[in-house]
Amino acid sequence: MTADMLSAILVSGIVLGSGYALMASGLSLVWSTLGIFNFAHGVLMTLGAYVAWTVSNAAGLDLGLAAGAALAVAALIGAGILLERMVVRPFYGHRDILLISVMTTLAAMIFLQKGIQLLWGARLKQLAPILPGNVPLWRTTISAQEALIMVVAPLLLGALWLFLRRSRIGRGIRAVGQNPDSARLIGIDVSRLFIITFALSAVLAGLTGVLLGSVRLLTPEFGADPLVKALIIVIFGGLGSLGGTIAAAYLMGIVEAALTFYVGIYWTPSMIFLLLIVVLLFRPQGLSGKVVR
Amino acid sequence: MASLRNGKAWLLGILLVAGLVVPILVEDTYLRHLFIISFVYGIVAASWDLTLGYAGIFNFAHIAFFGVGIYATALAAKLLGIDPWIAMLIGGIAASAAAAIVALPIVRLQGVYVVLVTFAFSQLVFQLVISQSQVTGGTNGIVRIPTLSMPGHNFLRDYKLGYYYVAFALLVAATVCLRLLVRSDFGLSIKALRDNEDYGVSRGIPIARQRLKALVASAFFTGVAGGFYVIYLRVASPEIFDFSTASLVLSMVLVGGTSSIYGPIVAALVLTFISEGLANINNFAEGRFMLVSVAMIVVLLFFPKGLASVLPAALARRHEKRDRESRNWKGTRVVPNDQKNGTALPPISLDRST
Repeated sequence: MTADMLSAILVSGIVLGSGYALMASGLSLVWSTLGIFNFAHGVLMTLGAYVAWTVSNAAGLDLGLAAGAALAVAALIGAGILLERMVVRPFYGHRDILLISVMTTLAAMIFLQKGIQLLWGARLKQLAPILPGNVPLWRTTISAQEALIMVVAPLLLGALWLFLRRSRIGRGIRAVGQNPDSARLIGIDVSRLFIITFALSAVLAGLTGVLLGSVRLLTPEFGADPLVKALIIVIFGGLGSLGGTIAAAYLMGIVEAALTFYVGIYWTPSMIFLLLIVVLLFRPQGLSGKVVR
Repeated sequence: MASLRNGKAWLLGILLVAGLVVPILVEDTYLRHLFIISFVYGIVAASWDLTLGYAGIFNFAHIAFFGVGIYATALAAKLLGIDPWIAMLIGGIAASAAAAIVALPIVRLQGVYVVLVTFAFSQLVFQLVISQSQVTGGTNGIVRIPTLSMPGHNFLRDYKLGYYYVAFALLVAATVCLRLLVRSDFGLSIKALRDNEDYGVSRGIPIARQRLKALVASAFFTGVAGGFYVIYLRVASPEIFDFSTASLVLSMVLVGGTSSIYGPIVAALVLTFISEGLANINNFAEGRFMLVSVAMIVVLLFFPKGLASVLPAALARRHEKRDRESRNWKGTRVVPNDQKNGTALPPISLDRST
């Protein structure tokens, strides 16, 4: 392997991994706090990208990308709160909440995806890149937007980590994730933190959508593929561990870039799935996770 | 109780005869088409219930098994020139084989991991179909698949009469097999594992083997139904792997009620007619899925045992009331877990503190 190939694989792997890490960390956050799995996460990403497009694009309101991103964040806070209220909250305390929430969030995903298709139509759209042009990087060249993703993703994840470690609300979220009953006993408002967690995760999804919306084409199914990748990542990384999830996301990005290079884009999903089965046969709890029952 | 069971036998007999007479009364080809489609969905929904409702396996790859049946049959009939009748059987076997592959990791996994792996699997099948376009036709699908043939009967010029009866026969056969399965020792053992896994295992039920069998069996009927579906429509399209198909069939299982083979079949009939009727309204082909998803949430909220259970549940309440009055009921009756909690899905511990 020449250094050129290695750099091409590593750089594109890290770009991929950055997007995956943003997606998967939101999923992992909701899982470790609420104990449910949000299948509408992918479509929230789509929603963020479409809102940003409508606000910023010349065919829409033409207000610039900053306003687009801001409105996307606002819309996703609303969507996250609504989603938690309508399809998750009614089932708290139910003994089958895991299975039920899979079905209700799946229903919410279909609802939002078809709603987006009705509102915006099926025509392909693309966000204007935040940064134009290309950037040379260690023997290879990537677009400035991809470089931006590489920089912004770790910053956002670092901010998330600081928020969870240092702030009062963040520590509350972690306490609820560790033991909701004791958290309630020491006076934490658990249901308010559930809403905050859901909104936070929705915002992460929406920002991922805004970042990726200029690299990929927008369709109503825009979030489906990242969602599936995020599923595989949280299996690899072990659910509930944010660090494990982020590490698995970058690892997955690099593995995917390497596989695309060696076996071609068509066989990559099969190879990843094969890898997944092999890992699960030996470590059913994921690479770093604890046993979840 | 005995009279109730007799009543059920009568009802089934009447439904069977009605199913046989329908095409004689209904001459409209489109209505017959709706019946055929709803029978196919009925098989898929009822056999999904075997894994989801009875065995308590969080299997979300069921539509992928359906798709595997569709593509295996289409390829066998079109590329290999195998007789469509046998190709349908091949569809079932291929779907079972796919289920066995998925079962490999998931028989050892718990809860959410099963959901994740089965979801990932269905996406994998979809991407394989899309990417191997020289074989599967990619996004264009496979067209002009050979039709069924029988000496002395032309399946294309009988206003769908022949297809109706084939679909009905498949539905009846699948229903009988599924009912026999869930009432057998095997059915008891998978229900035992669903309700109390640790106890079931301690009594010697081989959990991995039973789960594998449940998956393979439920995939077989689904695969045959997929095979029939593609031979009937003559087109195999990757759209079948869309999340909306999965949610439509899932809503049939939920509306019909989990842990009942008949419920999902009835729900499949009703929902197919409703959703096809809605699809004919201008520009509503996509919007109807929004209604389906709202219906799913409403059913989960208010009728966790399924809409089909509302009537029997009301009857049971009246019986219970009468029992209580006559026997001075003390409230120490043993109720199966699934009836007690108003749902028949497996228990999951929410304790994530360790």
